[in-house]
Amino acid sequence: MFLAWREIKQNKLRFALITAVLLLVSFLVFFLSGLASGLAGLNREAVDKWQSDTIYLTEESDKSLNQSMMTAEKADEVEGGETAVLAEMNLIADNGEAKNGVALFGIRPDEFIMPKVTEGKPFKDENEVIASDYLRDEGFSVGDELSLSSTDEKLTITGFTDKSRFNAAPVLFMDLPDFQKIKFGQAAEQMEEGEETVNAVVVKGGSGEQVPDELEKIETETFIKNLPGYTEQNLTLTLMIYFLFAISAAVVAIFLYVLTVQKIGMFGVMKAQGISSGYLAWSVIAQTFILALIGVLIGFGLTIGVGQFLPNAVPVTFDYGLMAVYGAVLVAVAVLGALVSVWTIVKIDPLEAISG
Amino acid sequence: MTDHVLQLKEVTKTFGSGRTEVQALKETTLEVARGEVIAIIGPSGSGKSTLLTIAGGLQTPSGGEVHIAGERITDLNEKRRSRVRLDHVGFILQASNLVPFLTVSEQLRLLDKVKKGNMSAAERDGLFEELGIEELTGKYPGDLSGGERQRVAIAKALYSNPSLLLADEPTASLDSDRAFEVMGLLKSAAVKKDAATIVVTHDTRLTDYVDKVYKMVDGTLRLEEEKEAERLPDERTEFLEPEEERDGV
Ligand SMILES: Nc1ncnc2c1ncn2[C@@H]1O[C@H](COP(=O)(O)OP(=O)(O)O)[C@@H](O)[C@H]1O
Ligand SMILES: [Mg+2]
Repeated sequence: MFLAWREIKQNKLRFALITAVLLLVSFLVFFLSGLASGLAGLNREAVDKWQSDTIYLTEESDKSLNQSMMTAEKADEVEGGETAVLAEMNLIADNGEAKNGVALFGIRPDEFIMPKVTEGKPFKDENEVIASDYLRDEGFSVGDELSLSSTDEKLTITGFTDKSRFNAAPVLFMDLPDFQKIKFGQAAEQMEEGEETVNAVVVKGGSGEQVPDELEKIETETFIKNLPGYTEQNLTLTLMIYFLFAISAAVVAIFLYVLTVQKIGMFGVMKAQGISSGYLAWSVIAQTFILALIGVLIGFGLTIGVGQFLPNAVPVTFDYGLMAVYGAVLVAVAVLGALVSVWTIVKIDPLEAISG
Repeated sequence: MTDHVLQLKEVTKTFGSGRTEVQALKETTLEVARGEVIAIIGPSGSGKSTLLTIAGGLQTPSGGEVHIAGERITDLNEKRRSRVRLDHVGFILQASNLVPFLTVSEQLRLLDKVKKGNMSAAERDGLFEELGIEELTGKYPGDLSGGERQRVAIAKALYSNPSLLLADEPTASLDSDRAFEVMGLLKSAAVKKDAATIVVTHDTRLTDYVDKVYKMVDGTLRLEEEKEAERLPDERTEFLEPEEERDGV
């Protein structure tokens, strides 16, 4: 530490540069991770809000919500701590001024996935909906009448709720019988109680219950991973982050190597005096650790700072736990890059320094 | 055990092989005792540095034996030799002896960090005073003159109380006044610390300060001159007083 810190203090510019590189890389990593969780949130936010443990789909659906169709009667065979049926379809909603893709959820108001309204009132009468408050930002408001892309039925927004996006679309929540009318039109009129069609049953608590015939029980996390595009998108961003780790290791390795080569004579003299390679190598490691830590911390601060000024349209959400892990990985990777220099130091022959 | 800090027995050194073979050092036997200061002079390429680095355990001889402080170092691996250097040997080189980003006092603190049993603060201050650098402790090597740098290098080499002090052309980068001054300080400090000292130099005038002068010619070491006096010649004592001027680079 002694040597490491003294050298940094005496060569501020040089070490500021390498810190700056680490800062920028960490900024990019943090930002990408924010983007990754933001985009992930876009897909899974509504599901996360349920805080459910498992989800039941039909066996033949291959874990795809849209392909899973069951009668409400069948759905009610599912047991657990708390259960809730879910019917879902995608539509375009239009209030006359603004148009937006939405995910329409058919639910029962007395089951646990019924959202709390943050503005206005819950749905009560026919064709009333609670809307995700992202729609408010898009120009929708309480009382709006919505025409839909696939039917002549009109919906009315009675209230808004927060954190409700599913598969990148804001959610509209409505009562299950009304949902049947939207989805099946005339046919819904003849439906008896229990004949309604739903796509899934969401379960919170409970465990080890019998799984009804033809249904499959999956973890909520598995359900999310099978949302269209979710895994692919996450993988792409995560891969970019991993590339950045490799890049920062390479940059640090090259930079430190150049600095070390410049100091070969000095290290050689020290080794001639009997100072061990281990001590000198530790000094380089310590130096890298200090610089990487400073770079990553500033990068972290910068990311948070910039995050404050981003428009809402940029889907960035900071997951501090994950950022801490990425930051630690960056520091570790930088230290790994320093190993090239350690090797160089170990190989220095003090004799060459002496005979200059 | 003898009282000789350094013993070279029939040491030889050959570089290369076949047609490119260079016998840098022919069979050489040399003993240096505590408090003894010897000089090795000789033309460039005659093998002076080779002898010095073998004596300091920086390279192994092709033949013969080297003992430092009674320990036979010839067969030790680099790690163990490094330890011997740390414990027993002080080096002073032509230049660039100092770590550029450490102040004079930090140069010594670095040595505190890597080994135990060094000087007390009082001893160190005494050494600084002896070498006339007590005012320079907060300065970086870049801010010192050549003469001052070499005086700091002497302090650094002696700081560990080495039993063997090896200097390879320590005055080569200095003008002659500064060279006398540094040489005088080196001699008196080494004697005071009771170190066995070898100074390699090409400046024959500097040999006034030493007890024995050896001459190296083509890898053969010969005793040139042996003196009775262990004291410094009178006309040179004035150089022991540190001077204020800082004209060197
Ligand atoms: N590492 C080496 N490899 C090959 N030849 C060397 C090496 N070191 C020294 N020599 C040769 O050994 C001879 C003595 O060199 P050196 O001890 O440096 O002389 P001096 O210090 O007296 O100028 C020279 O001919 C030099 O070229
Ligand atoms: Mg030489």
